[in-house]
Order: sequence, then structure tokens, then C-alpha cells
Amino acid sequence: MSISRSFAWSEIKEHKLIYTVIILVIAFTMASFLLENAYINYMMQVVNETVKNVTADVIITNPDCDVRDLYGTETTMKNAGEIARLIEERFPGYKASVRVTAQATYGVGLANESADGCTLQGIDIHDDVMVESLKKKIVAGRFFRDDDPILRGHTPLYIKINAPGNLPDIVYGAGQRLLREDEPYPVIVGAAAAKVHPSIISVGKELDLYICASARGANYASIRVKIIGLYESGTPTIDAMIWFIPADSLREIKCYGKVKGRSWIIPGIGSFHGFNPIEVDRNMGDAVIVKVPPPSISIDPIGYSEEVKRRIQSIVPDLKVFSWHDLLVYGAGSMQDVVTILLWGSMGVTLLLCGAAIKYVMDSIIIRKMREIGSLKAFGARDRVIFKIFLYQGLFIGSLSGVLGILIAILVMKIVNWYGISMQFIAGTQLKIGFVVNWFTVAISIILPILLSIAAASIPAKKAAMLPPVEALRRGEISL
Amino acid sequence: MKKEPIIELSHVTKIYGEYEKSVIALNDVSLKIFPKEFIAVTGPSGSGKSTLLHCMGLLDRPTEGKIFIEGRDVSRISGKDIAVLRGKKIGFVFQSHNLIPRLTVIENVILPGLIAGRKRVELEKKAIELLREVGIEHRAKHRGAHLSGGEQQRVAIARALINDPIIVLADEPTGALDTESSKEIMDLLEEMNKNRGVTVVFVSHDPEIARYGRRRIELVDGSVTYDGVNR
Repeated sequence: MSISRSFAWSEIKEHKLIYTVIILVIAFTMASFLLENAYINYMMQVVNETVKNVTADVIITNPDCDVRDLYGTETTMKNAGEIARLIEERFPGYKASVRVTAQATYGVGLANESADGCTLQGIDIHDDVMVESLKKKIVAGRFFRDDDPILRGHTPLYIKINAPGNLPDIVYGAGQRLLREDEPYPVIVGAAAAKVHPSIISVGKELDLYICASARGANYASIRVKIIGLYESGTPTIDAMIWFIPADSLREIKCYGKVKGRSWIIPGIGSFHGFNPIEVDRNMGDAVIVKVPPPSISIDPIGYSEEVKRRIQSIVPDLKVFSWHDLLVYGAGSMQDVVTILLWGSMGVTLLLCGAAIKYVMDSIIIRKMREIGSLKAFGARDRVIFKIFLYQGLFIGSLSGVLGILIAILVMKIVNWYGISMQFIAGTQLKIGFVVNWFTVAISIILPILLSIAAASIPAKKAAMLPPVEALRRGEISL
Repeated sequence: MKKEPIIELSHVTKIYGEYEKSVIALNDVSLKIFPKEFIAVTGPSGSGKSTLLHCMGLLDRPTEGKIFIEGRDVSRISGKDIAVLRGKKIGFVFQSHNLIPRLTVIENVILPGLIAGRKRVELEKKAIELLREVGIEHRAKHRGAHLSGGEQQRVAIARALINDPIIVLADEPTGALDTESSKEIMDLLEEMNKNRGVTVVFVSHDPEIARYGRRRIELVDGSVTYDGVNR
């Protein structure tokens, strides 16, 4: 071991109490950083597998929609297909898909059964950007097939009742109730919904959905569906709410296409039409979701999503563009973001204080070891040898802090995993807390404390190195 | 054949501070130190004895004048080269020993050698030999802090000799010792000078100690007032 390293190590041993306190503080700070980051990474993974089923990376809607409408009440986009093609043309590598969405209620009117709501996401069973992701999440049953009764070949019957006076007219679309022999539409449901309502939801069961077929008008349809599969994404609340149905089925239900059915008008009561097939218009939808290539380094996924959002907004300035983060903040609040900012802020302050502590401890060492520094210089030690004694102390403190921080973080992760700590959500669902370690942050956990303590040590190190030997010996004698 | 001086000071002046607060520590000092000499530097307190030693030992630079080490003018060479030269050519013995308390005796002795970049094994062998000569070999593994003042100064002498310097500069080597220990240390330095042929320059304000020097340089107010045989 070189003189500088050996002296640095012996200084650390001599001042082990104060240095241990500093090392522990830095280590706990870095452990918090790692844990916070690993938890965010885990949540990001959960988000990728849940919220992004609804929004992909960004979602484009009509201008009158707000974030609440992302749960199925977006207004109709007549040119959704054109917008999707425009995005793909302007941004090579971006993939865009048209989504048809609706809100629905099930269990209505059933005796002794609870009723609940869901959001129907109509996806293109071949080309939707999230198809592959959804297929991987199927835990029971299967994904959609071409031979499923996606289009039932008739227009659901619509009845418009003219309300008297100033009261609004009511429009019902109730095709399947009139045509009970038809095959039910296939749907895939979140496994969490099956846990909440096991008597209604399981693979193979048929049930009625009461669907809001238009976002702003009073248009409803009651349809029969058959559960062909269950998926599980990681966030039970979202799993309980989001159901998937083929986009064309929902287009048929919402009458997105050319209606061929005949109309009857009953004077004084209203009108109804239906029975004949409609020709669905695949250019129509309720939202366009866009999946973008991931960034080369994933340090700030929220920032990246905002950047993508701005980029897409520039192409469709008259439409609303939301990122997955917007929906997450809407659904879970921005508390996590605020906590993250506060945590990072407090970590920054703690690290700065530790840096200051290292500097002042070393300053005091220099004052007390003046004679030793003078002697080393008298024995031929060059300025850089003295400089390195303090720099190596910084290196050792930083390295020990970083390694200890990682060990503490690993220990906490193990304990949390072992205990299986969960977050409780509404409707009795829960999310098990987990961690996804990013090697980049592990490297930061080592490098940051090293850089900090070396930077803090470099000021007293330079002071000690620049001391003239006579001055050091004389002041050392005086301090005796 | 005439001997060449190992250290030569030519019109060396050292002034501390500036303007009206300046103090002339050395005033136009010129002298030559030859091999194997045993020199006492004497003078009243504040006469510039330690400053002279510091300048000779390259611990301090003169304000004016030149210093030659084995004929080489070192007055203007870089701090880095000065440090290397100091480590290889000059051994120091300080009044308060300056042993590193957390190191063992042998580690203290080999320290200047390690700084000079020499191999540890070779240094340890030499350190044992030196410790034997100064009569403290049995304390080689003890920590410096556990030794008596006299023993610590013996270690300091061994440490000063580890790099085979051309000169040993001792600043009040007995200043912190009792009479008995002082005599032992001076006998040891004299022995080293005779047996090893190492040049020794020591500073002392004690006439009894100064008597050990074969040559005496006396300083008063920074000027040499006597330089000759010690009577």
C-alpha cells in the first residue's frame, strides 16, 4: 500500500467515530435513494403493464375531453384512423392505434348481486399497439380469435323516445335483448374484478352490460357478453375497471359505420331502427393511442413522456394529448411525485451537509496533524503525496458509504419482500410492494458518494499540500 | 586533494514578513559544510540558528543568496525536485522527535525510505541494523508513543539515517531530554559521525551540548560571528 493510502486509512481508523457517523448518514441517504428509485422503477413497471393498456405512451382525444374521459367517455373521433396514420408518417418508429371506448355497468337488476362499473376498451385484436402486452397478461382463458362473434351481423336496435315538454329525449340501443339467440360478444376481464365479484365474473360466464354508447348524449345499449379470458397486470384497481372487447364489436354497439337498418317512426312516442347489419367504419374511434420507442437511457420516464406529448401535440394542435403520467396522476394523485421531489431534495441537502462535515473534520485533522505533515514533507514527501492522503480518505469514505448504502437497500428490499408489504386499494384489492433495481442507479449510489467525499476532501487536501514544510513544523510545535 | 563542500551557503539572507514588520532571520550568511564534519550551531534565542538549519535542509528558501548541495545550485529548482532532493540527501532530527505515534518504531524508521520509493523489505533490513546501532532493536515492534523521550530520539536518529543522507541536521536534539539522555543522544550522534562518516550539524543553545561539535558556528542577530574550531 502506498504511503498516501496507508496514512489515509490510518487517519480513518484514528477518527473512526466521527467518520462512522458520516459514512452511516451517507449510506442511509444512498439507501433511500436506491429504495426510492427501485420502488419508482417497480411502479413504472406496474404502470407500463396497467395504465399504458389504456393510454400506451400518449393518448389523443377530441378537444372537449379531459383526463377523466380517458376512462371510457371520450367523444367520437370521426377521423381517428387518419390521425393514427399521420402520427406514424411523421414520426417513424411510432405506432398508433385507434381505440373505441365506452363505460358500462354490469349486474344491474340482478337479485342479491352487487352491481359494478367497468370501462370497455375496444382494441384491434391484431394491430393494437398493446395487443402483445395484453396477451402476456392473460392468466385464465384466452385472447380473442377471428372466429369469435366479433360482429354479430346486425345493428342493435335503437329506440328513441321523445320526452314530453322540455325533458330530454331518451335513446336506448338494446339489440341483444331483442335477439336473445345471438352469440354474446367476447370480453376479457381483469382478474381483480373476478376476485371482487366471483359469482358474476369468471371464464365462460355470460352477463349483461349496460353501455353508455355515446359520451355526451343519452345513448345506451344493453348487450350480452361472454368472458373468454382474465388478465392480470399488477394494479388491481385498474384491472378491476378495464375490460377489453374487440374494437369492431364496440363500433357495432356504438353504431360507428353505415347503418343499413330500417327506421320506424311512431308518432307521439319516438322512433326505432335496426335488425340489419351495419358496415363498421374503421376510421372512427374515440381515441388514438401512440406507442413510442423507449429512450436510450431511462433516467426520467416522466420527463420523456412529457417530451413525447409535446412532440405529438405539435402535429395535432387542435386535439387533446395526454401522457400515461396524466392518467396516473388523475388516478393515484401526484403525491408520489411530490414525495419523490421532497425525498430527492432532502437527500441533496443531507449529502451537502455530509460533504461539509467531511471538510470540517479534515480541516481539524490538518490543524492537529500539522507537525506530522511538516515531518512528512521534511522526509521528502511531495505536495501531491500529502494531497492524496486526504483525497484517499475521501475515496475510502465515499466507497464505504456507497457499498454500505447498497447493502442496507438490499436488506430493506429483502425484508419488504419477505414480509410481503401491500398497498390497500378500493374494493378490497391490493398491490404488493416490490422493487426493480436499475443498475444505473446502483452505479450512481457508488459514484455519487465517492465524488461528493472526494470533492469535500479536496479543499482541505489542497490546503495541507500547499503548506510550506517550515510553516507546518513550526505551527505543529506551537500546537504541542 | 582539497575536499569539496557538500553544502555551501553563499550570501544567504532570509527575511520574514514585509515592510516595517519584516524580520531579518539570516543576514548575508556564507559558509561551507564539508564531509564528515560535526558542527554545532550556537547562539542566543532568535539568532537564526533554526532558520539556518531549515535553509541548509531545503525546508525553507532564502530571500537572497544561493545554496549549493554537492555543487548544485538548488536555490531556484522546483518544489517537487526540492522535496525529492531533501528526502534523499538530508536527514532530520527534531527537538520533539516527530515520530508518528500510531506507527511502530520500525515503521517510523522506514518512513523516509518509503517516501523515497524504496522497497519495504530492503528498508526493514536496514532499519533493524540502524536500530541495533542506536541500541533500541528490541523495541522495533513497539509503537512510537510508548517509548521514553530518549528512546524516541534514538529512533529519530535511526530514521534520519535510513536513506544514507549526506548530512544529518539536528535542531535542538536534546531540547526535550534530561541531562543523562541528552548525553546519550549526543554520544550517539558523535558515534554515527565517526563510524558512519555522516556529516552532522546540530543546533543547541546549551554550551555543554554545543561542546560536542568539533566545529562551531555562532550566530548573533542572523549573522555569523564565529566559525571555527570549537574550543
